[in-house]
Amino acid sequence: MKKVVLIAGMLALICSSAWAKAIKVGIVDCYSGPASTYTNDVRDGFKLYVDQVNGAGGVLGTPIEFTTRDSKFKVDLGLREAKELIMREGVDILMGTINSALALALADLSAKEKIPFFSTFSKSAKITGEKGNRYVFGMNENTTMAGKAAAVGLAQKPYVKYWIAGDDYEYGHAIAEGVWDNLKKLKPEVELLGQSWWKVGEPDFTPYITAMLAAKPDAVIIATGGRDCVPFLKAAQATGFNQKVPFFMHTATELSTLMPLGQEAPENVIGTSNYFFYYPETAENKSFVESFQSAYGRPPKVGAMYGYVTAKFIVEGYKKAGKVDTEKLIDALEDMTVDSPVGPLTMRGGDHQVMFPMFMGITQKVPEYDFLKASDIVTIPGDQVMPSMDEIKAARGQ
Amino acid sequence: MDFAANLTLSALGQQILVGLSRTTILFIVASGLSLVLGVLRIPNLAHGSLYMIGAFVTYSVAMALGGGAFGFWLALIVAPVLVAAVSFAVERGIFRHLYDREHLMLLLFTFSLTLVFNDMVKLIWGADYRSLSPPEVLKGFVTIFGLPFPRYNLFLLMLGPVVALGLWWLTNRTKIGKIARAAAVDREMVGAVGINVSRVFSSVFVIGCFLAGLGGALVAPTQNITQGMDHAIIIETFLIIIVGGLGNIWGALLGALIFGLTDSVGILICPQFAIVFPYAAVVTVLLVRPKGLLKSTW
Repeated sequence: MKKVVLIAGMLALICSSAWAKAIKVGIVDCYSGPASTYTNDVRDGFKLYVDQVNGAGGVLGTPIEFTTRDSKFKVDLGLREAKELIMREGVDILMGTINSALALALADLSAKEKIPFFSTFSKSAKITGEKGNRYVFGMNENTTMAGKAAAVGLAQKPYVKYWIAGDDYEYGHAIAEGVWDNLKKLKPEVELLGQSWWKVGEPDFTPYITAMLAAKPDAVIIATGGRDCVPFLKAAQATGFNQKVPFFMHTATELSTLMPLGQEAPENVIGTSNYFFYYPETAENKSFVESFQSAYGRPPKVGAMYGYVTAKFIVEGYKKAGKVDTEKLIDALEDMTVDSPVGPLTMRGGDHQVMFPMFMGITQKVPEYDFLKASDIVTIPGDQVMPSMDEIKAARGQ
Repeated sequence: MDFAANLTLSALGQQILVGLSRTTILFIVASGLSLVLGVLRIPNLAHGSLYMIGAFVTYSVAMALGGGAFGFWLALIVAPVLVAAVSFAVERGIFRHLYDREHLMLLLFTFSLTLVFNDMVKLIWGADYRSLSPPEVLKGFVTIFGLPFPRYNLFLLMLGPVVALGLWWLTNRTKIGKIARAAAVDREMVGAVGINVSRVFSSVFVIGCFLAGLGGALVAPTQNITQGMDHAIIIETFLIIIVGGLGNIWGALLGALIFGLTDSVGILICPQFAIVFPYAAVVTVLLVRPKGLLKSTW
């Protein structure tokens, strides 16, 4: 008799804990050092939406919990933390990271463990390209999309003679190739005068800029990223580069690049981004900015959009699946569209890449902010910047 | 193709000027390193860390005084002096007791100093990078040879000869300079004639480190002030003094000129592979003259 009571009690315990079980999301990202400028926004944007949903009773009556782990930009550490999140914390979903090498490792891990991985902020096209699999979702633009978007935007401008310059590592070359290959397809008469490649962390951009000016190109494509953007823009301002030659730099118009420079940032720089807090001027975006601002006391940067959209896809995915189940979630997410501050966004079923539109703008001083903003914004729709499914299949060797 | 498209006389002149302004920074830092190496026989790996500290202090002082022109000029003085003070403490506290040890021990010790200084910078300023603006008068550019040239680089260009002359005066016209040169050649003999060698060594070390701090302060408005800027400069300056002749200040000037000019002219002539040029120049010099261009004091 005693045994029966005990078993019944244990059963009751198991049942009750199953009822209360939350959906667990484990975020592995670099929260120390310069990268935290970007990653804190992803986390905060994600939290903003999750808090709203939990406040309204959760998804299908289940709350969403999330924990973060600092990878310190190290692949081995991040991978270890991700494994620990899966085994010890029993997370249902993995999310992160700005480090492309770690994101690719997590893409492999997710396939092995059959845990969905939502890749936020890493710009490697391989994540939903050759390394893509059923469990990986690309939640932001990548080098291929940025290259295509820039080409579409630049093809509309009158420039013919180009110069390419950038960081001599994967991101730099990937962006430059992406822009140039697509630009040549769209506008065959473009001509490449020359290229310069500098080492990452180059201390002095002045000689590179003066040499480019001497070649007299119509426009320059600058393929530099991360922390090198700020000193490059400074050198551009000091040499008057931006006044002599228009140049494109992918992340030049992003808040994280322009805010630290204040009024010192150069005007007339062409840049592309997935998001500005001041654009598009829609009610959806305004209410997103307001709630982010009131929660964290700062305007949202592009990372906040990635985090917010990721949370929204997860929530809507579970709702559509009608059940907290991984495989059903993945099926539900394929070709699903959700509303976002930048308009409706679709998760392409074939490669699990969110079809983010890209905004191309030119830096300009404005009275309302103490930093420059992007003006003359042109929207390049998501379907125009996506690599074709044939290209994806070729990359995956299918 | 790049060669023909780019190489006009005015572009070359412009590029040489840019190279010379970079040379100024390299010379200032390398001459300090060379001075310490020549007189004290210390291959000071921590020289780059002192340069980094100089840049961070410049940032902090300039920002503490409101980020204006006054703050910047004051920081240009305060930062090297503070770096010199740190080096004085290190020299009196530790180095003084180590002069008799072999080079390898000294090298290891200066290496451990780089680790200590790096963590110190991380503790004080954190891991984020900083960005400083030059004062209003040095912002923007002037047009030389029909091409824009940053005012700040012009300032560096004018400062270079001043520092070189100052060093020449110090080593040739002052008593301490003469003693230091003598000590570099034969330190026992200098001691034997009744000169306090320890004090001379201390002064030379402090002057050398002051130059590292000055280099860091001068470079602050042109680049990111960040962890890791010490590695880049220490490699370059060691190459420069090896090319020029260890311990020879004019060798440091020559080495800095070779490094700065091959870098900037290389960028003009063959921008795709520009990174290679200064290093190729170093290799060429060392193949022809393995002991450096000028007479080494070693």
